[in-house]
Amino acid sequence: MLAWVFMLPLVVVNLLVILGPSVATIYYSFTEWSGIGPAEFVGLQNYRDILADGDFYVAMWHNVLWTIIFLTVPISMGLFGAFLLSQITRFQMFFRVAYFIPYVVASVVNAALWQNILDPDRGIGSAMAAVGIPFLDGVSFFGSERLALPSVAFVNNWAWWGFVVLLFLTALQSVDAQLYEAAKIDGAGRWQQFLNVTLPGIRPTLVFVVLLTIINSLLVFDYVYIITRGGPAGASEVVGTLMYKEAFERFEAGYAAAMGLGLSFVSGLIVLVFIFLRRRGWEV
Amino acid sequence: MRRTRGFSRKKFLKLGGAGLAGATLLGVAGCGGGEGGSGQVTYWSDLEGSGPQDYFKQHIEKPFEKANQGTDLKVTFQPPTEMDRLVRTALQGGEGPDIVMTPGPAYAQEYIDANLFAELDEYAGQYGWDNKMLGWALDLGRYENSLYAIPYQLQTMLLYYNVSLFEEMDMEPPTSRDELEGMAEELMGQNIVPFAAGIGDDPAAIEWFPTVFWNHYSGPDALYQALTGETTFSDPIFVEAIELFNTYVQNGWFGGSREQFFSNSFAALHADLGDGKASMNVEGSWFLATIGEYFGQAANNDNDWEWAPLPPLRDGIPPELYELGIGSTLSVNRRAQNADGAAAFIDYLVAGKERVAEWMAAVPSAFNAPLPFEEGDFPSSMDDRVERQLVSLSQATGQGNFGYTAWTFWPSKSDVYIQEEMQKVLTGDITAAEFCSGLDEVFTQDRKEGAVPKIIEPGSA
Repeated sequence: MLAWVFMLPLVVVNLLVILGPSVATIYYSFTEWSGIGPAEFVGLQNYRDILADGDFYVAMWHNVLWTIIFLTVPISMGLFGAFLLSQITRFQMFFRVAYFIPYVVASVVNAALWQNILDPDRGIGSAMAAVGIPFLDGVSFFGSERLALPSVAFVNNWAWWGFVVLLFLTALQSVDAQLYEAAKIDGAGRWQQFLNVTLPGIRPTLVFVVLLTIINSLLVFDYVYIITRGGPAGASEVVGTLMYKEAFERFEAGYAAAMGLGLSFVSGLIVLVFIFLRRRGWEV
Repeated sequence: MRRTRGFSRKKFLKLGGAGLAGATLLGVAGCGGGEGGSGQVTYWSDLEGSGPQDYFKQHIEKPFEKANQGTDLKVTFQPPTEMDRLVRTALQGGEGPDIVMTPGPAYAQEYIDANLFAELDEYAGQYGWDNKMLGWALDLGRYENSLYAIPYQLQTMLLYYNVSLFEEMDMEPPTSRDELEGMAEELMGQNIVPFAAGIGDDPAAIEWFPTVFWNHYSGPDALYQALTGETTFSDPIFVEAIELFNTYVQNGWFGGSREQFFSNSFAALHADLGDGKASMNVEGSWFLATIGEYFGQAANNDNDWEWAPLPPLRDGIPPELYELGIGSTLSVNRRAQNADGAAAFIDYLVAGKERVAEWMAAVPSAFNAPLPFEEGDFPSSMDDRVERQLVSLSQATGQGNFGYTAWTFWPSKSDVYIQEEMQKVLTGDITAAEFCSGLDEVFTQDRKEGAVPKIIEPGSA
């Protein structure tokens, strides 16, 4: 009974701030609504429009690319960084803090920092050119259609990977040291130890990070919006920024609600796969 | 709303300090009526920077309250780029300030359609706005013969230039397309960017350029015909203007390169103009508020600035043509608790010529009200370049030499189309003809829905 009493306030808050708007979003997704005034019921028209919307497919493709980047780069870096950190005892806390700091700095600050560093005229490219290394001189990382998306992903990765290091480090520290000793006795090298001891030992954390990465990649918004706003010409547009533009720039709030629900559906599907795998006995 | 820039306290004090004393005296004199209802009046302002905000509190808010005993003006400063989103959300939730600011007449119309604004005709009669304000401007706030919105923050597009660099290179501001292109080639040859430009901070700012090229290449008559439905935006005259802008960007004349045009921040491009890395800048009159920060002692250079009208880009276009822009509109929230007090404050803010002139001198461009200013109307503390711009705009528009800004005369959906699709022309994803044809489709739909604001005929202002 006491437990229920403790939980009740949170349930009430969640009902107010999550369930209420969620139900409203479902309703508005079936309407044509500018965000002000009355909404007109249009049935499934918004969903049909999404299926025919070229901008949506481009943005969704960018989310997929983003997911691929974040499933590979920060996870590889995180594993490697955690492994290196696990090998040292002195200054480990210093490095842990240093890796983690970008994660707790506001995205606006991180973005501004990298916008200055990567500025084609005043950033690292021109500074390197001044000392005879000109290959980055004048490169406009955020203004080029080809580079905008990977450049923003790079900035976001810079803030994110330190967090992944800490998750993996904690998992690594929980792997039984005797398993490594046994593997060594069986003649396993470093790589085989990593494959056969480390990876199985941290599998729950790895799957958790993968799940978190996929969901975060589908919902990505802040760095893209702050740095490029989806530009140039949609080259870094993701569904999150497209949705925002539909709601607050094109004043198609009903359409944006449908888009948001579509995205939630995909995220939900991924979580369901995760739950399904757990029930099938996967240690995730 | 994005068409205003930040303004540091230090620079503000330098620029407008001399105007403060006079403004204080006038403010205390408080010739603002005292006819408003009592109680609280809430107002969301888009003023940025501690200097202008302090000025507002000291020289506008307090004198207004003094002149309207019993009225408590509660001002909240909102980021200009977020204002419309915040207003939209608040009004939809049945809240919002008593005095509502929108980004322009086309945006105001949406709120009027949703029955969220109060009619102002009674107040217009009470305060004599028809006699005080410019008729064409007031007409922009009328919908189906009723007044709902007061246009505010008059703007136009200007050509700013680094006068020190021009003297060094023996140049004059261009007065024709040939001169402009000749200068641009010469400057590029000297590794100087002809036009400091970029949309890195605000991609929607790309709309400044179609606005300028349509007005100064296609011309205001063609625009009037397109905006009133007599012709279409697919007409070659509009396509050619977009192609010309695209050519200039691909040449690197705007911002240095196409990529830099996409990524340059305002601070960087303005610094380039001040330092002489770029020679000119096409921007709205709002830049007068902060341009001083990038020149002379304030920016550690010995340069100075000046402005000129944008040149005609085709034969038959008037040599001195100013696009008319409305940076915002002011309306009374239909749910306002103190509608009389709200109307009284709008009158105080917009309709007192002498008072407004003082504010305009102290904080350039932030308080530009639609009033018939003439030479001699402004205090001596006003920068003569700012005064010249205001008088020139007034005279030219009086002669009918005015054009149309996208954010004032295009319906909001068409305006958003321009902001988003213009980038695709520059990246080569679509052609200028496809861009104009797409605009035509959106605009035709807007027209059908009655979303086009009143279009003033050239020569009728």
